[in-house]
This record gives sequence, structure tokens and C-alpha cells, in this order.
Amino acid sequence: MRPGSLPWLVAHDLRLSWRRFTALFKNMSATRAMVIVSIAFLSFHLIAWPAARWFANADGAGEMLYPAIAAGLLIILPWIISQALTNATRALYTRGDLDLLQASPLHPRTLFAARAISIAVESVAATAVFILPVANMNALIGGAHWLAVYPALAAAGLSGTALGLALTLTLTRLIGPRRMRLVAQVVATLVGASFALGLQALNIISPETRGRLYDMAAHPPAGSLFDHDGWLWLPVRAFAGEPWSLALWMAASVGVFAAAALGLGARLGRAAIVAAGAPQHSTQIKPTRSRGFRAGAAASLRRKEWRLLSRDPWLLSQILLQIIYTAPVSVVIWKSLGPQGSLSLAIAPALVVIASQVSASLAWLTVSSEDAPDFLASAPVTRAYVERRKLEAIALPVGLFIATPLIGMAFAAPEIAAWTLAFCICAAVSTALLNLWHPSPGKRGDVMRRHAQSKLVGAMEHLLSLLWSVAMMLALFDSLWALLPGLMALGVLAANRPRKARRAAIAVQPTGMTSTATSMR
Amino acid sequence: MSSEPPVAALRLSALCKSFDKAAVDRLDLTVRAGEFYALLGPNGAGKTTTLRMVSGLLAPDSGGIDVFGVDALAEPVAAKQIMAWLPDEPMIYDKLTPLEYLEFVAGLWGVPPERAEPQAEALLRRLDLWEQRNQRCEGFSRGMKQKTALAGALVHEPRLMLLDEPLTGLDAAIARQVKDLLVERVAAGASIVLTTHILEVAERLADRIGIIRDGRLIAEGTLAELRAQAGRADSTLEDVFLRLTQEAA
Repeated sequence: MRPGSLPWLVAHDLRLSWRRFTALFKNMSATRAMVIVSIAFLSFHLIAWPAARWFANADGAGEMLYPAIAAGLLIILPWIISQALTNATRALYTRGDLDLLQASPLHPRTLFAARAISIAVESVAATAVFILPVANMNALIGGAHWLAVYPALAAAGLSGTALGLALTLTLTRLIGPRRMRLVAQVVATLVGASFALGLQALNIISPETRGRLYDMAAHPPAGSLFDHDGWLWLPVRAFAGEPWSLALWMAASVGVFAAAALGLGARLGRAAIVAAGAPQHSTQIKPTRSRGFRAGAAASLRRKEWRLLSRDPWLLSQILLQIIYTAPVSVVIWKSLGPQGSLSLAIAPALVVIASQVSASLAWLTVSSEDAPDFLASAPVTRAYVERRKLEAIALPVGLFIATPLIGMAFAAPEIAAWTLAFCICAAVSTALLNLWHPSPGKRGDVMRRHAQSKLVGAMEHLLSLLWSVAMMLALFDSLWALLPGLMALGVLAANRPRKARRAAIAVQPTGMTSTATSMR
Repeated sequence: MSSEPPVAALRLSALCKSFDKAAVDRLDLTVRAGEFYALLGPNGAGKTTTLRMVSGLLAPDSGGIDVFGVDALAEPVAAKQIMAWLPDEPMIYDKLTPLEYLEFVAGLWGVPPERAEPQAEALLRRLDLWEQRNQRCEGFSRGMKQKTALAGALVHEPRLMLLDEPLTGLDAAIARQVKDLLVERVAAGASIVLTTHILEVAERLADRIGIIRDGRLIAEGTLAELRAQAGRADSTLEDVFLRLTQEAA
């Protein structure tokens, strides 16, 4: 490959992407990471088996095949667009090698076309891991025409990326580079979650309306939006393996992508330059006037944590989005309870999950992601004192997150509200302690990827959420079985408590909460 | 008159710390009360490791650390109460304003608000940060961040200051402000241990200079004493330093 050419730049970008991916498997060789990914990919084939059987039957019967593929595409496309939006924002804001490349005599069009291609590859790769096993199993059971999913998915990646790039530029133009990063990340998450949340709308609507929708999808009137021969259903037909539709879908996608990559390349270059000159955070004078100094180490520590949390809207948005993802759980529970169910009963376990997850995120932020660990370690307070104050500090935001639904619930069903509060406290304390006992140092921005270093702690955190949530549900039905998950949660906590020797080592360790190792100087 | 010797600001006795190899090797060092002491040495000599052990950020393998008569290993909180630590990388919070940062530091050190608030104002004015007192530190230059950190180190009026290359990366004007403030503090009775690679700073400011190499103190004294030790009567500190460190190699 000629240095400076488009393929050379794409190879460069993809190498960096691969290294970012393997960095998720810390302390693991690339080969071992590859083996794990391969095993996971093969395992997905087993999980895909029932879906493949269903598709094989639908393929024969015909009427529900296209609506099913359309439903799948409604998951895949937003996902790809969301990935493209995230990756394009990162390309603009995470300078990395961009300064070097922009300072080089490369044409911006070549540079950003290469970046667009690598964004498309990354976006498709993230979805392909889950989609291709289904396609492979379908091909095994239902015929080779299902392998059309491969090129159709690649084409979807190209169109989705083109849309993502256009959306990135539109957002930059509309809201300016400073707010762009935050908004883009929130939009990306919402777009990604849109279908999962939309599915719950189907659960909420009446069975009659749902039946009518299914009927319309299976037997669409000619010329309607649901008409399978319409242009809107072109990607569906392509994924189903219709040769002409596939060819047309691929040609259209390549065309759209080429237009976006080449046409928007220069604008992306300008946006990158503007983004480089724009502060990522507000550096304007913000006269947040102090109301006078207040005394006490404990109050100072708590106030410091509250200030840092309240001044990071991106972090808060990420934590809020966690809550959005729990909404479908409530709907599923509500529907599954049938006529005896109430909204309070449905919301209660979700609130327990929210309390535990928010508490875990905040505990990690305050304990593992301390900005100045050495400074705190040099202060005349013990490590345990600082940690206690940090955990006290997170109680307020956790309480604020669950207060509104709890207050509403207290009016409708006071007993359920009281139980919910008790289980929320148990769950929040459990996950906070887990993060305190097993700190994993990282930057504040990595809060959602905090368990990359220790998958086991992440698993334990989710297990605790689940156990307290199940215990909550059983307790609400006056079942003594509630004791079992409650005791199991306490057991998990006890098993994760640092051993005596380790506790002693941590207590005498004079470095900060997550201070980096000292190098010799 | 009492026959007891004056309490040293800092006394290190046979201090040892090893990583892969010995970083600090049976180091004995005494800094007198009210003294400006410069600790010099080539890269990897053990200067930062020594200061981190004194400030309680690193546990020594063996040896003793006394700060104004307080055993820093047995009573770390009491020792930290009278010390301040300022590394080359400013330890501040980007999302806090300088005033909030000083309030936080004062709270940690238990300085009463009625004393801390005017002290913070005086320091911010002295360091030309008063106009920026309500701006978050994230938009500050490195020099402004370092000045904020210095204000934090001074707001609780420490008796002993440990400064690890505090002038690294500062422009001439800011470096001058920092140096002037440090000299004032020593004149007011504080003790300072400073590591630096800028030998001119040590030459101008320090009462005594210690030269460390491979974790051991190889020379100590006033500039004149070091010159005599190196056998170079009219040399600069740079010449003396190079001579002594090369001799010890």
C-alpha cells in the first residue's frame, strides 16, 4: 500500500481500532483475546439456533418473514447509526493522531474518507457479532440464500454510517462544537435504545390494536407503507436474499456512503478544526459565588463530591440513561402480573435495580476515579475517613434519583413504598461497598466501562442488583422465599469482602484512594 | 539555657525504599527549622521517592521519619497536619474554582473558616488569581493551576513544605511569583525542602543543599561548603553538582 493513500489510511485507522478493542482485555495477549472472542462468536451460533428454526418455518409460510426481518432491521439500523454517531464524535473530539494527520500534506477528503470507512467497519463489526451467527444458522437450516445477510449487513453499515456522519455534522452546526459532544452521546444512546423502548409500546397497546398491526404487516394493502414491494422494504427484501433487491440495496448504500464520505469529508475536516479550538467544557467565567467558607473535613469532602458530580452533565446523562434502560423491565413485569398487578408493583423492583446501579456508578466515581488521590493521601485524615465521607456523599444523589417515583408510590401504596425504600437502601449499600472493596482506578469518563478491568466485580454488581430486586418482588407477595435471595445477596457481599490481611494492607497503605504507582525519579 | 538540641523540621534516619532496585538507600538527612533546603540529584536518584515517603504517600521499607519531633510513620495524621506536599503536576480539581479548592483544603486541614477565608483571599490576590477566583480550574493554564495548588499548600500554613520540582513548566513571571512567595514563607519561619533540576533556583534560594545519588546523600552543605568539597572554589553550582555526582558514579 502506498503511504498516504486511502487504503493505507484505512489500514492505519483499523489498526488503531483493533488496539482499542484489545485494550478492553487488559492484561491479556491479543491471541488470547482473539480466542475468547472466537469462542463467544461460536457460542452465539448455539443461541441463534431457535431463531434460525423460526426463520426456516417463516420462510416456508411466508407471511411473517418480512415483518420479522423488518423488526430485526429496526434494531440493527439505529444501532449502526448510534455507533457511527459515537465514533464520528470521537473522531472529531478525541484528538489522538488527528492533529498529526491534519498537519500533514494529506488531502482532508482522503483523510476523512478513510476515517468514514473505518467508522463503518467498526459499526458493522459491533452488530455483525450478533447478526452473522443467526445468518449462518439460517443458511444451515433454511438455505444458502440467507448468506445474503453478509453483503446486506455491510451495505446497512455503509448507509447507517452515512446517516451518522450527516447527523454529526448537523448537530455540530445546530448546537456548536462545545455542546455537541454531550448531545451526540445522549442522542447516540437514545437512538440505540429507541427500538428496545419502542417494543415496550407494543406491549402496552391493547391486544386488538396489536392484532390489527400484525395483520397489516402480514397482509399489507398494496401501495401502503407496509407494502412489501414498496421502496421502504428494499433492505428487508435484500436481507431476505432477493438478488435484485440486494444488488439495488448495495448500490444505493455504496452511493450514499461515497457521497457522504467524499462530500462531507471537507466539512468534517472543518468541524474537526473548530472542535479543536472549542473547549470541551465550559471555561467561560461562571460566577458561582461562594457563600463563605464552611468548617469541617467531613462537610468539605461531601461538598467536593457533590460539586464535581453536579458539574459533569455528561456523567449524569450516562447515569440517567441507565435508568431509561430499566423502563422496559417495569413494563414487562406490569404486563406479566396480569389483572392483579399494579404500577407500584411493577416499578418497585426496577427502582431497586436503579438504586443499586446508580449507587455503584457513583461509588466508583468517588472512590476509584478521584482526581487528586495523592493530594487526599497527603491530608491529615485517614483513608477510611475519606472513604466513609465519600460513601455518605453518594447517598444524596442516589436518594434524589429514586425520590420522585418513591413519593408518588407512597401516595398510591404506602406499604409497597416502605418496602421499596428498604430494599433500595440494601441494594445501594451493597453495590457501593462492592465498589469500595474492589476499586478499579479509571478516568471519570469511563464510568460506563468501569468493569473492563474486572469483569468479575461487574458480574457481582449485577448479581446483587438482581438478587435484591427478586427479594423485593417476593417480599411484596408476602413470600418467605424473599429471605433466600436476600441471604444470597448478603452471602455474595460477604464473599467479596476483602480478607483480613488485605484490609490491613489497605489500611496502612499510605497512597491515595487510587493513586498511581510511584516511579523512581 | 536548655541543653536540648533544637527540634529539626525533618529528620530522616536510615530510610530505605526498594522497587526493583534500591531507590532510597539508608538515607540520613536533617533539615533545620526555618531552613530552605534544596535536594538535588540526577534523574532516578530517589528525590521524589524520598519526598513521597515523608509526605505519607509511600511506605518506606525501613528507617525513620520525624517531622518537628512527630514520628510520621507512627502518627501519620499528626505529621500531615503540619506539612504540605506540592508535586510538579498540580493536584487540583478541574471542576472546582480556586476559591472552592482552597475552601476544600482548609476544611481537610481543619482551619477555622474565619481564618481560612481571609488567608485564601490574601493568597489568591498575592498570586494574581483573585480575578479568576470564580472560574473553574479546567480552563486554566498549567502555570495558573500550579499557582492554585501552591495556594492550597499554603492556606493551612504548614510548618514544613515539601516541594517536588514546583517550577517545572512555569514561565519566568509565574516562576518568580512562586519563588518570592516561598522565600517569604521561610522568612516567616516555615521550613522548605525543594527538589529541582533548575540549579540556579537552588543556588539563589537554598540555605543548604543536599546532593543525592542512587538513594544516598553524597554531599551536603552551603554552596561554599559544596564548592570546597568539590575542590572548585569559584565554580557554579552546576559545575559542583556535575563534579560531585560524577565522582560518586
